[in-house]
Amino acid sequence: MAPITTASNETNHQALLDKLDIAKIQKPFRNPNFKAPQRRNKSVKQILSDASRREASLLTTQNNSGASTPMPVTPTEAGSLHPNPAQASQDLSRLVLEKNQKAAQTGPSVTYTSIAAAPSTRPKKRYCDITGLPAPYRDSKTGLYYHNKEVYAVIRGLSTAQIQEYLALRGAATVLK
Amino acid sequence: MPHFTLPIHPPTNTNTPLPAPSQPYLLSDPPFTGQLPSSRQQNPPGTAIVIDNGSSSIRAGWSHEASPRLQFPPLMARYTDRKLARRLTFVGSEIYFDGTARGQSKSAYDTSTSSNIINNWDVVEGSLEYIFAKLGVNGQNVDRPVVMTEPLANPAYARRTMSELLFEGFGVPAVAYGVDSLFSYDFNGGRTGLVVGAGYTGTHVIPVVDRQPLLSQATRLDWGRSQCVEFLTRLLRAKYPGLLTGGKITETQIEDLVREHCYVSQSYSSEMLGMLEWSGLENRDHLVQLPYQEKEVVVKTDEELRIAEERKRESGRRLQEQAAKMRLEKLVRKEQELEYYRDLLLRVQSAPTKKAARELLDEDEFKDESQLDRRIKEMEKSVRKQRNKDVGDLEEETAEVHTYPLLEIPDEDLDEEGLKSKRGQRLLKANHDARARAKAEKAAEASRLASVQREDDLYRERDFEGWVEERRSARQTTIQKIKDRDRFKADLGNRKSQASQMRMKALASLASDNPLGRKRRRGQDKEDDGFGADDGDWAVYRDIQRGNDEDGEGDEEEEDLPAQLKSIEAELLKHDPDFTEQSTQEAMRDWTKSLYHAFAHGPYAFDGESAREGAQMHLNVERIRVPEVLFQPSIAGVDQAGIVELIETLIGNRMAGHPAQSLLAKDVFVTGGYALFKGFEARLEAELRGVLPVEAGVRVRKARDPTLDAWRGAAQWAGQGDGGGFVTRGEWMEKGGEYLKEHNLGNVFA
Repeated sequence: MAPITTASNETNHQALLDKLDIAKIQKPFRNPNFKAPQRRNKSVKQILSDASRREASLLTTQNNSGASTPMPVTPTEAGSLHPNPAQASQDLSRLVLEKNQKAAQTGPSVTYTSIAAAPSTRPKKRYCDITGLPAPYRDSKTGLYYHNKEVYAVIRGLSTAQIQEYLALRGAATVLK
Repeated sequence: MPHFTLPIHPPTNTNTPLPAPSQPYLLSDPPFTGQLPSSRQQNPPGTAIVIDNGSSSIRAGWSHEASPRLQFPPLMARYTDRKLARRLTFVGSEIYFDGTARGQSKSAYDTSTSSNIINNWDVVEGSLEYIFAKLGVNGQNVDRPVVMTEPLANPAYARRTMSELLFEGFGVPAVAYGVDSLFSYDFNGGRTGLVVGAGYTGTHVIPVVDRQPLLSQATRLDWGRSQCVEFLTRLLRAKYPGLLTGGKITETQIEDLVREHCYVSQSYSSEMLGMLEWSGLENRDHLVQLPYQEKEVVVKTDEELRIAEERKRESGRRLQEQAAKMRLEKLVRKEQELEYYRDLLLRVQSAPTKKAARELLDEDEFKDESQLDRRIKEMEKSVRKQRNKDVGDLEEETAEVHTYPLLEIPDEDLDEEGLKSKRGQRLLKANHDARARAKAEKAAEASRLASVQREDDLYRERDFEGWVEERRSARQTTIQKIKDRDRFKADLGNRKSQASQMRMKALASLASDNPLGRKRRRGQDKEDDGFGADDGDWAVYRDIQRGNDEDGEGDEEEEDLPAQLKSIEAELLKHDPDFTEQSTQEAMRDWTKSLYHAFAHGPYAFDGESAREGAQMHLNVERIRVPEVLFQPSIAGVDQAGIVELIETLIGNRMAGHPAQSLLAKDVFVTGGYALFKGFEARLEAELRGVLPVEAGVRVRKARDPTLDAWRGAAQWAGQGDGGGFVTRGEWMEKGGEYLKEHNLGNVFA
């Protein structure tokens, strides 16, 4: 669509272009040596699948490595480290492994996908697909919900494409892969 | 004693249509409001740059200020202008001023999936440049710490890339990340409660206990204003097919429609039921006028009409003259030929020998005299006729008496010649007879109709009531027949219906070798079952025809029922005083009673021809249907629980046993752009009070400024400046890109 600036003509437009362009202004704060890594624009699906794969691999490594074997607990425990550095490092590694084990059993507590809400367990109210009013009836041929016989007459006159569009609004359209 | 009588208003059958509204809503212009200001003043050290990275808009400013200085959508257009041969970059709303820029604009977020995870880092880089430039940063690197918001449970990749961009690309000394709804809650003085962050691409519900968020119990519902916009677009496209195609309406315009016209209903089912009621519909229905083009109607003035007529008549006359001239020429030529033949005949008759005669005839390819004779007679006749028509100077042609003498003579007496001519004469006679018969039949038919009409008139004059009754019942039966015929036709289309099956049976029996399984009678020929001998047999073709033609070709032979209906109604209108315009079939389809008309065109008359009305949209049901999806996601096919159910399960089940469980509902805090819908927190409160126990003491409050408080909260938190939560550049380089310092208003490490 055409620009909506009032009294817009070629020179005005050009002047505005120059004024708004930020490629021209000085940017001293920008690091000249910084080059953006290639292919950093990942799609959301990709980011989430990478993250889930990483979590899964973390779980499996913990389970399969011998590090999860419980070692005998000595009395001087629970927080203080052994004075002997070799022993101390063992204690340290054991503490870390225990923490990881706890985490591995439950999985990471908060991820983007784990946050997503679960489906509803309540019965859903039905609304007319055409008008949005409450729908007591359902057309068995098309699967659309309708409000009264007048809307039913409208439904009968719809083409297949329109029927599928109404069903898609509800998420009930047949998707052929 | 006073005596009152209330006036009785007779019930009105029709709803009164209203005139068009005086002020329809127009679509908004694209949101270019001018260039955002930039500041060059020095800012006191110790302040931080606060950036609220939202999916609807980025808000940025200095932490010591009360409001963010910049607010713009996360869009950027970077392209090479061909005329100037230069790379141009535009950020934010400034892309809307140029059509090319708008076409090239990219969003930082993936618009097809409506998620709040950053997808396009070039746009983020451009936006950051824009922010720093406008905020007046002009050192070698950005020398102030940056506070940024991120989505809840931001993936590590996104955080890492953002940190890399800030630290490496702009040399920021320290960065802190936080969650926007938590910042807003903190700014509004919240301590323990439930935070509902209703954002642009999703709605988060986070319980906060003693200023610590319980992120493991937090949840996100994938519905926000951007999904509302998409839903409304699809609803309008289904409601007005053909109106939204062709890019006539942009997404920002639909977004403005959502912002202006939609509101949250307090009681959805009952309000929906009454939404399309006629009374008061003009208040609930909003008329949106799209740009349209008036159709050109060429109005000819009287002068022009007259001139056009004159010209037409002129050309007609000219053509007639030409035709007359040509006919005269032909006539003359024919007469000449006639003369020639007559001459020939004379010569033949006066030929000395038969041989000479033969020769003369052969020249003109005549077999014998009689043929020549006949030819002459024909020509004479045609000449005379033509003469009559054109010139009209010859006398009337004597009525030819067609005689067929040869038909009397039996076949044996005639020779071959005679036989041929006899056959010709028989044919002529048959033709003549047939034409006479047809004429007689037509006359008889006309007289019959006239007599029927006379009888009808007599009947009407004699017994008016009876006549009216009879006509009315005829009308009813015609209507019924039309309905039955339509139903029958519709049934034929359905494969499993009774009508279709009968048709199949008829077809099968026709096609089979022995219909009805009849045993072949002796002596009957194998292939001959006598079909077609009786004229009634051919009617079966009419039965098996599907009749799904749209031109109505089949109606030529059947009774033309609609026309019959019209004629009956015309008669009734003329003579019956009770039968008015309203009772006719046309008026039965009253548009003011039609629900669908109220739905699609509001309480106003609709003229399908007008271009202005064809480009109008009515928002009535959509006004409450679209925001309702947050409460009932199944309306839009979102397979998640509604927000009330989420809060209910959170407080009731997931937080069961937690000491602060009873305190959560006492402070339900709503923030984010979705909270700007009218009636949102009232509805939430009413619904929660309905599902939570009384001891919970439900109280819902809205942020003072749902859109800007997140930024203000982040600015306040940055100003408190205990340094907690800030990751410095050194730490980042040492501990890796995903290093995160958790604080009570941010995410936890995953």
